[in-house]
Amino acid sequence: MATSSTTTYSPSQSLEKRQQQQQRRRLFREIDWKRSDGREFHQCRPAFLRTGAASAAAGSAYVEFGTTKVIVSVFGPRESKKAMMYSDIGRLNCNVSYTTFSAPIRGQGSDHKEYSLLLHKALEGAIILETFPKTTVDVFALILESGGSDLPAIISCASLALADAGIMMYDLVSAVSVSCFGANLVIDPMAEEEACQDGSLMITCMPTRHEITQLTLTGEWSTAKINENIDNYTVTLSLLLYYR
Amino acid sequence: MVGLSIGEKKFIQGGISQDLRADGRQRRDFRPISVEIGVIPQANGSARVKLGATDVIASVKAELGRPSSLQPDKGKAAIFVDCSPTAAPIFEGRGGEELSTELSLALQRCLLGGKSGAGAGIDLSSLVIVEGKVCWDLYIDGLVVSSDGNLLDALAAAIKAALSNTGLPKVSVDLAAAKDDQPEVDLSDEEFLQFDTSGIPVVITLTKIGRHYIVDATSEEESQMSSAVSVSVNRRGQICGMTKRGGAGLDPSVILDMISVAKSISQQFMSVLDSEIAAAEAAEADDA
Repeated sequence: MATSSTTTYSPSQSLEKRQQQQQRRRLFREIDWKRSDGREFHQCRPAFLRTGAASAAAGSAYVEFGTTKVIVSVFGPRESKKAMMYSDIGRLNCNVSYTTFSAPIRGQGSDHKEYSLLLHKALEGAIILETFPKTTVDVFALILESGGSDLPAIISCASLALADAGIMMYDLVSAVSVSCFGANLVIDPMAEEEACQDGSLMITCMPTRHEITQLTLTGEWSTAKINENIDNYTVTLSLLLYYR
Repeated sequence: MVGLSIGEKKFIQGGISQDLRADGRQRRDFRPISVEIGVIPQANGSARVKLGATDVIASVKAELGRPSSLQPDKGKAAIFVDCSPTAAPIFEGRGGEELSTELSLALQRCLLGGKSGAGAGIDLSSLVIVEGKVCWDLYIDGLVVSSDGNLLDALAAAIKAALSNTGLPKVSVDLAAAKDDQPEVDLSDEEFLQFDTSGIPVVITLTKIGRHYIVDATSEEESQMSSAVSVSVNRRGQICGMTKRGGAGLDPSVILDMISVAKSISQQFMSVLDSEIAAAEAAEADDA
């Protein structure tokens, strides 16, 4: 595909990018601004969810949150590796990876180790591990396109895939993240918003049991702000699940 | 990890519900803490923190580097944690990797703040020497020497102590010497700038066992947890990072209660830690 508008090619567009980012950061500081996709601050992106995306897996699901596209396959339960110690509850093995073409710059999707860990923690509280002793369930997540709020998409998708595989769970898990810009809170942030956020909060919960399975928070928050948020977003999350 | 008999498990659980733990502490008591600073002469700052039988070392090394092109007005800081197999045989090879990553990530979240740098414990803009050209790269390494539970809180305390021990050499830059490339930099051997640690938070991990939560759990107690939440609180009482460390789901109201408990405990812990650091500094000054 040839682009006619650019006449010169510069390998490093960092200066341009930096100016863009600074501009955005200034914009986000203001009280009132429009999100680039025209959403309200408290509006999620349109979501598409489907189970049975990969035929070889015991269970799988495909999720789109706006431009974020994720596929998760669940294999097992299979016998745990011999080297592992005996365990009277099942094990969960989570792995998150990015495709090389998921980010604007090739091969840039990096922190998947963090995501694997957080995915594991978000799911382990929801799965009834006692139902498959001595065995392991593998959860493999692949991010096809990274458009922001990747982790919440992975977690929601993984819980659907687990359900599709017939793994016993207390409840489905749904997740959402919130970005904080000065005094504003923005739900379900896009990648460009995430890049300049002041703080973020991710909640994963089991809506029908009204329990939080994972909660991470960065940036500086006052207690009152957290209280208000947790109340608000657990409600949003339950709504999210209903429309699924 | 810890092999316990049914009797021992019941003893731990029963003790916690009656507010008397196996080592005689109450639910909200920390183990005795000891702080030593300047333990690693090779580093710019270092500290060793012992919390009961948990023993960790933190070191801070500063190197001159170039700011990233996206954030020319900020220095860089990286936090790594290493779990040595001398602490426990399961840390051998790749065994400690998962725990190391978990601890490093939790500390990064607590100390480095949001993407834009707001609410960060370590003020990255103070690390810049010449905007876009020269900055300090801070490498913060934690080492687990001996592990008996509550590693995250101990590591965060050690990093706080190590940073208050950190002196960055005074730098004089000759901008005229080189126009386009890296400017000429001269490091002073005598003058050091103290690193500002007023914004560094402390981390309080609350471990839920039965219906109650305890602070500073030992590894026996950690093996009985149903879930744990780590909250980092700074001097102004603001929450600047939080992670739930696995386990079962929690009701939102329980989490909110845990946050407020962590907040009140953090202020006590902060003052204990401050006085320990001050004592350690005085002890080091006597030695020198």
